Amino acid sequence: MDWTALGVSLRLAAGTLAILLPLAIALGRVLAYRRFRGRSILEAVVALPLVLPPTVLGFYLLISFGARSVVGQAFAAIAGHSLAFSFQGLLLASLIANLPFTVQPIQRAFEAIPTNVRDAAACCGLTPWRAFRAIELPLAWPGLVTAAVLAFAHTLGEFGVVLMIGGSLPGQTRTISIAIYDRLQAFDEHAAGVMAATLLAIALGALVITQTLARRVGRSSE
Amino acid sequence: MSDAVSIDVRVRADAPIPLDVALAAGPRDVAAVFGPSGAGKTTLLRTIAGLHRQATGRIVCRGVTWLDTDRGVCLPPHERRLGFVAQDYGLFPHLDALHHVAIALGHLPRDQRRAEAARLLALVHLESSASRRPASLSGGEQQRLAIARAIARNPHVLLLDEPFAAVDRATRRALQDELDALRHRLDMPIVLVTHDFEDVIRLASHVTLLERGHVVAAGAVGEITSRVDLPWLAAAAGRGSVFTASVDRVDERRKLADLRFDGGTLIVPAGSLTSGRYVRVRVPAREIILATSRPEGLSLHNILEGRVSGLESDERSGVVIVQIAVGETHLLAEVTGDAVDRLAIAIGRPILALIKSVAIEVG
Amino acid sequence: MRPAARIIGAILLTLSVVVVARAQTRTTIAAASDLQFALKEVEAAFEADGHPAVDLVFGSSGTLAKQIQDGAPFEVFMSADESYVQTLVTAGLTKDGGVLYAVGRVVVFAPTGSPLQPDPELKNLAALLAKGGVTRFAIANPEHAPYGRAAEAVLRKRGLWDRLQPMLVLGENITQAAQFATTGNAVGGIIAYSLVLSPALKDRGTFALLPESDHAPLRQRMVRLKKAGAAADAFYAFVQSAKARPILTKYGFALPGQ
Repeated sequence: MDWTALGVSLRLAAGTLAILLPLAIALGRVLAYRRFRGRSILEAVVALPLVLPPTVLGFYLLISFGARSVVGQAFAAIAGHSLAFSFQGLLLASLIANLPFTVQPIQRAFEAIPTNVRDAAACCGLTPWRAFRAIELPLAWPGLVTAAVLAFAHTLGEFGVVLMIGGSLPGQTRTISIAIYDRLQAFDEHAAGVMAATLLAIALGALVITQTLARRVGRSSE
Repeated sequence: MSDAVSIDVRVRADAPIPLDVALAAGPRDVAAVFGPSGAGKTTLLRTIAGLHRQATGRIVCRGVTWLDTDRGVCLPPHERRLGFVAQDYGLFPHLDALHHVAIALGHLPRDQRRAEAARLLALVHLESSASRRPASLSGGEQQRLAIARAIARNPHVLLLDEPFAAVDRATRRALQDELDALRHRLDMPIVLVTHDFEDVIRLASHVTLLERGHVVAAGAVGEITSRVDLPWLAAAAGRGSVFTASVDRVDERRKLADLRFDGGTLIVPAGSLTSGRYVRVRVPAREIILATSRPEGLSLHNILEGRVSGLESDERSGVVIVQIAVGETHLLAEVTGDAVDRLAIAIGRPILALIKSVAIEVG
Repeated sequence: MRPAARIIGAILLTLSVVVVARAQTRTTIAAASDLQFALKEVEAAFEADGHPAVDLVFGSSGTLAKQIQDGAPFEVFMSADESYVQTLVTAGLTKDGGVLYAVGRVVVFAPTGSPLQPDPELKNLAALLAKGGVTRFAIANPEHAPYGRAAEAVLRKRGLWDRLQPMLVLGENITQAAQFATTGNAVGGIIAYSLVLSPALKDRGTFALLPESDHAPLRQRMVRLKKAGAAADAFYAFVQSAKARPILTKYGFALPGQ
């Protein structure tokens, strides 16, 4: 078991959640409640990583942020290291790749709140912020947890993009999924097997949680 | 119309729902908005609440401008001092009854909210349900909770959208009584939207008739219900004037009660009436028999002296609507054109209105 | 806020702080996959010699060179050929022109139970092919793996390349090719000598060394990148030193000067 690799994966997942969840809440809410021109386009852009092969994402990230790009060189000048082949680069890729996994469940959860409930909140004298905190957020809660669990599990399993822009640097970009790949190539099937089983268990756990929550949402809206 | 105006509404809209309404209500008025489905009643109510923002015009409530399109003012709902009860209540599924009311008490300091919430729940007879969630409340209880929540912040106007549409007949009577009792304790106008004229009869002091977004007629209930024109209203709700009376005397032995109104006394079956109560009376136009001389040997208890104050022929049905002034009150009677000719009924002539005591609707 | 929300919030906050704190980065050496086992032993000896540990990252030489061009922070690049080093030198990314550290060999390998009998002239492979008995044959991708290029050269020399084309499985690097060759449906493959000499593969099948004259020599060159620090310099020197040479020889590499 490569504990360092597991650590990298967990940090990547946690970092993704910490940054993406507030963003997804804001974006999901806007998509749920506002009608504006370009809304469908925005929804399509959010959904894009779902259908995009990871290699395509990796390719465009390399072009945009690699050492030979303008952005990459600017970043290197400030941070002292390249954006690609660094943990920060992985985090950026993970934020993009997880956009649909976080925004979509949260958007659905906000959409599921009946309009007359939100109207009643406004007519009770609740400011939009208070209505959000006291009414919308508690009612959308299962959707939020679903988003968090999905993004967490998905990040742990992310492989294609990490392979392309990670460089398998131990402690930095060698995630547990990369480590499995590495161990296999070193003919260390035992180690690969242990790590694969761990990821499988985590994925199953994530699915159980989301299923349970999905049922809870269904019940509470009866 | 009372002299003081609590809320003054003048709004117009072309799309998506056409609207052209002027409406005003005083401090203790119950202003009903009556019309068929699609008339724009709910849109009007939501415009007053600030939930529907496509209308232009002016809304002023107790001196505060809620909407003034010319000056670019349009307050969001949470800044309007109102209480709103939607047709399906919009209760918060995750909060129990006490918290429902408490959450609307943002204007009070935290430690006072629980006590005030409990008081409001008691006001609507829900004190024993304080810890129950909406899903475990009956339809009537849900409605009472919605009302308690709506009045929690001492609104300047209470807006009710078809409040009795979702409950059965028996519960409806009970709720109407409660609402009536409640409004005597509150010092705010109620704007009540309904497609059931019974609500108007039982609760309203004023009524606005709305059809396809336009006002057909508006005024005090007694005045509107005793107009000879308005075939529209006749078709929608039947003819019959509505007025208030007080229970003067109840005769236990004969099981009769005297109702004193602004023009005389009506005798009705006592039922559960008690002396001193104020009741709403509706006399259906079909139940009035007109006479030019006092009859003898009839079972009638009510023979009222009045003067013909209006005549209108309803071409479609062939009946003539006769308006009779009895004191300050106006009654409507439906008779055939033949009867009008035979009795030579004309405006200004004295006439007698004969009404069966059991035909009078008392609420 | 609900207690569950508080706990989750606290966990996220803690983890996000951890995220910000960067892990210690050690000197990283990028090495061609044929060095998978040999270099690990060299690194162990390096540490035993009193030096701080360095991290090893393996891949095909072409892929690694590309990553370096895109900014990968490797400090030493040990290629399986010389051309990829030259590319980096030309791009100005290296400290100097580098040094030849080993010459590699390729073998034809057949896993236990395979119908293929390895022989240096690939006569058995030709016969098996004629009989239609070749399901899959593994080599590294010649596009970016020097050992793949060598495999292609050998197969062309023996006139087998065209007929073998539809049955080839291409490994992304030479260890993946070795993977394919030892598992699954491949009858065998052309892989690195250094890999079959390792404990992991030794007992998995049989092999035959292919003549050096059948392909361009696998002259393996290494170079230090611009950012190479003291530890990198030390490792660079260690690989060329007397302490490392026996290990490389053990894994079948011919050394410069022999």
